[in-house]
Amino acid sequence: MKLTYNWLMEMVKLPADAGSLGPEEVADRLTHAGLEVEAVRPLASDAGAVIVEVKQVDPHPNADRLSVCEVHDDGTPLRVVCGAPNVHAGMKTAFLRAGSVLPSGQAIERRAIRGVPSEGMLCSERELGYSDDHRGIMELPPDAPEGEPVHAYLGMDDWMLEVGVTPNRGDCLSIRGMAREIAVLTGGRVKAPGLPDHLRRHPAELPVTVEIVDADLCPRYSARLIEGLRPAPSPPWLRFRLEACGIRSINHIVDVTNYVMLETGQPLHAFDARQIASRRIVVRTAGATGTLTTLDGSERALHPDDLLICDGDTPAALAGVMGGAGSEVTGETESVLLESAHFDPLTIRRTAKRMGMHTEASHRFERGVDPQGTRYAMDRAVALWEGMGEARVVPGYADVYPGARAPADITLRYASVRHALGVELEPDRIRGILESLGIGIKRATAESLEVSAPSFRFDLTREADIVEELARIHGYDNIPATLPAVRMSAGADDPLLRWMRKTRTLLTTQGLSEVVTLPFCSPRMNRTFTGLWDGHGRPVRIANPLRQETDEMRLSLLPGLIENLRVHAERRSQSSMIFELSKVFSLGRDGGYTEGLNVAGLIRGHRPRRGLKAESPEFTFADAKGIVEDLIEGTGCAGVLWGAGEPPSFLHPERFATVLEDDARLGHVGEISPRVREELDLPSCFLFELDFARIVHYARPDFRVRPIPRFPSVERDLAIVVAQDFPSQTVADWVHGLGQRLIERVEIFDEYTGAPIEEGRKSLAYKVFYRSAERTLTDHEVNGVHEDLTRRLCSEFDAALR
Amino acid sequence: MIEILEKLHEEVTGRLERCGSPQDVEQIRVDYLGRKGGKLTALLRGLRELPAEERPSAGAELNRRRGEVETLLETRLAELRRQQEGAREGGARLDVTLPGNRLERGRIHPLTRVTDEIIDVFTGMGFEIARGPDVEDDYHNFEALNIPRDHPARDMQDTFFVSENHVLRTHTSPVQIRVMETRRPPLRIIAPGAVYRHDDDATHSPVFHQVEGFMVDRNITFGDLKGVLTHFLEEIFEGDVRVRFRPSFFPFTEPSAEVDIGCNLCRDVEDSCRVCRGSGWLEILGSGMIDPNVFDFVGYDTEVYSGFAFGMGVERIAMLKYGMDDIRLFFQNDIRFLRQFPP
Repeated sequence: MKLTYNWLMEMVKLPADAGSLGPEEVADRLTHAGLEVEAVRPLASDAGAVIVEVKQVDPHPNADRLSVCEVHDDGTPLRVVCGAPNVHAGMKTAFLRAGSVLPSGQAIERRAIRGVPSEGMLCSERELGYSDDHRGIMELPPDAPEGEPVHAYLGMDDWMLEVGVTPNRGDCLSIRGMAREIAVLTGGRVKAPGLPDHLRRHPAELPVTVEIVDADLCPRYSARLIEGLRPAPSPPWLRFRLEACGIRSINHIVDVTNYVMLETGQPLHAFDARQIASRRIVVRTAGATGTLTTLDGSERALHPDDLLICDGDTPAALAGVMGGAGSEVTGETESVLLESAHFDPLTIRRTAKRMGMHTEASHRFERGVDPQGTRYAMDRAVALWEGMGEARVVPGYADVYPGARAPADITLRYASVRHALGVELEPDRIRGILESLGIGIKRATAESLEVSAPSFRFDLTREADIVEELARIHGYDNIPATLPAVRMSAGADDPLLRWMRKTRTLLTTQGLSEVVTLPFCSPRMNRTFTGLWDGHGRPVRIANPLRQETDEMRLSLLPGLIENLRVHAERRSQSSMIFELSKVFSLGRDGGYTEGLNVAGLIRGHRPRRGLKAESPEFTFADAKGIVEDLIEGTGCAGVLWGAGEPPSFLHPERFATVLEDDARLGHVGEISPRVREELDLPSCFLFELDFARIVHYARPDFRVRPIPRFPSVERDLAIVVAQDFPSQTVADWVHGLGQRLIERVEIFDEYTGAPIEEGRKSLAYKVFYRSAERTLTDHEVNGVHEDLTRRLCSEFDAALR
Repeated sequence: MIEILEKLHEEVTGRLERCGSPQDVEQIRVDYLGRKGGKLTALLRGLRELPAEERPSAGAELNRRRGEVETLLETRLAELRRQQEGAREGGARLDVTLPGNRLERGRIHPLTRVTDEIIDVFTGMGFEIARGPDVEDDYHNFEALNIPRDHPARDMQDTFFVSENHVLRTHTSPVQIRVMETRRPPLRIIAPGAVYRHDDDATHSPVFHQVEGFMVDRNITFGDLKGVLTHFLEEIFEGDVRVRFRPSFFPFTEPSAEVDIGCNLCRDVEDSCRVCRGSGWLEILGSGMIDPNVFDFVGYDTEVYSGFAFGMGVERIAMLKYGMDDIRLFFQNDIRFLRQFPP
């Protein structure tokens, strides 16, 4: 909410000892009371213009569009050359003497314009920095005092305060509400502009009847009838004050309703009285009424629960949100029916939400408007209109108040204050704060107070709400910081966090950098990179995405990495090594949402090195696999198998592997498929993605140390020629399966294809380690076992010895 | 005498410079300090012939000189031995200013670094970690946090919807509810995670990260909230930081407090500081005493238990720690950005 400093201070009587309170200080006080002031700035800088009357206007002898004007400043006649189309004799306007400087920085000099000397400048609003209006020079009212500063006359010697009012403080969406806060904080009191006596003497009857169908939806409806009210431009002070508060000036009828709303917080609506022909206001829900054209010109489809203000049977306004076009104030308006009502917050909010309308009125009604304030606000508007011209109020007023409610009683225990705040407040201090806030004290005992909230505070319904007010006004700074005396609780260790940290360390040590990407994904990428859901993953769709093309949540982390690769490639970076450890999302068949935690990586090019010999070989599949192996070994994940199986569609069908644990797929690693590469226009790269949650599930944090062998091992090499597609791991697995006690382990140390090995076959070389736990083995012993092994191996796998 | 000593010292220095091997140094030692015929030794012997009153001062001078010569000999000897060893290994002195050879390590993302730091401060105070889903239901994200349907407080957070009843969580606060539904006090919990808001510009990202925290037990007060959070801020910003608590509104806490820290980037620029917009303070945390309505939703007795909760934006803390002003850098993952953080 925007307000001005002067306006606010007009409504507070500060205590005599308070001195003055500057705009910055006011801002600071409000901020510390929970009304965060987001900006404080002067409305405009003062160039020093004064009000003058244009005495005489003569055409410029040398220029068609210029005129030569005589103005009186300090009584001395001065000659000014003016180019504005609207200049005329007798008008009051703003004059800036030569020697002044415009807010734009332009200096006004005494100089001849087309041969005629000019002593200064007649200014437009834009030139003085007061508005964007540059249609002509300022036209000030005839009674504007000559010789006085324009700045002060327009109320521009003021500051704009922008306050972030939280949704619980609807009562502060007005100058009066803010003034109440300042009064509480300084020990002052609120001043409200007085009302003329004749308005107070009027009886409660008006030639208009008001019927409220449901008192819950409209607890109170007040109205007045004003005649002789024809739309006219608002006086400058009104116009500039509204504009400083962010409200566009329209005409003085509408402007006054807005002004009073800003001042009191009570939204008002002015109907053209002629259009309320039946003289019968009915407040009812729309029911079967189909549509209403609001004054912004849109035809609105109505919901049966929308609350309407009707002229007899005809809808005239969407209650609390916007008036109807049919009863709008227009140029022909001569009399006005002024509505000042209280509506149910929920009803207004639902209607405003459904219609996608957010108005100054609906904003306030949603947050709660003081039901006690309808009459004052209405009379205040009438008084302002009467002060501006020929408006005559029709004696009498309507005020139907079927929804009056007594404020609820709240018990405040002194112990609760101590318990919540950790500080002891004296009962006198508590009573003082409550009274300053307008909270009534009905009964007092030694332990507690029976209190009731003022009608404008909808947020005070429970004891905790009252305690908060005490803390707020007492000042958070006056509550000492303490450390809690706690009961111990067991075990703060978090295995998942531990494994996540370890995994990040492992991967960064391998050279991969961690990235954090947005989880939004295009349907196309989700169809390509289906993640680890084994075909069961259906993407989660966002109903209102930021960008239509990425309206799904990712099934896999790979699209984010791919996107990053694209950025790297565009920068002509030769290498990429990145990983992400984050969530993926899927919609289950039962409609439930499933979230996985994956780790995925991408490598391309070669591993960067530092130092003079900085060449690393180009990455191959084995490098990608090595990273995954390191990760799996690092987590102590036992029993992991590498298999082939069905390749995921985005991986190269001949260059990928599946990582299995207990026959469940843990993840995959491989080269990006040429087809996807082409489709997405990417450089070649290696990818992996693993189900991290499952890795953690299988992780073995503990292990036991085995004794270091006491006797030496004996090694024998073994080279066989097998079919090209023979998996090398098979041999090691088979040997282990033999259960030969003297064989400790088998390791592959070479793979070779090419001459002299025939086409379609390859040579695999293994080292077999023989060892006994009881003695040093002899060559003779080992040779026997090794020959037997070799023979059985060749026949088992159709392999030839090399 | 003094002159003689001076001359001998010069002789030794000159000969040491010229000599090329440890054997040469040994010869010099024999010539000057040798038991028989050493020139300095001879002078020492000659002391006896001096008048008694001159003996002490001359003796002291002679001994000083002898010590000097011994040091010169030792230094030269060590130098020659080093040279000899170097020559045996071959090659000249290395240029040790050349860079060492190493593999480039990857970097941990700054958001992870900061999240980990936050977690460590709180686990150090005995807090445990809890987690919740990113796709959250309306009940946990809003309803149970005292944000009913049709309440203006819902406008405080622009929401992504995935269905009638599910949203991308707008804060990590639903984890409070999920924990309290299944456990009883005492509770000290922090919950890090991604959150989503329908918002995108230089200061807002549609996805950002929060760390939620709360503590529930008997007799937890607003003073405790101040104490715990002040300690946290002192830890995370390494030492002396100005902290201020000011009233605010969150539907799930009462009283609520916004926590600001003093801006340390604008000491010289005052009004034009881009980070704090001239106010001198930066919002860093939202906090408050857990609202009784929230306890009612999870079935805690508000007469017995009280607690506080807080939430902070990881990006915001990271930006302040590292002096950044564009949140988008975190999600662009430019390697030139990531590499600035030490491995």
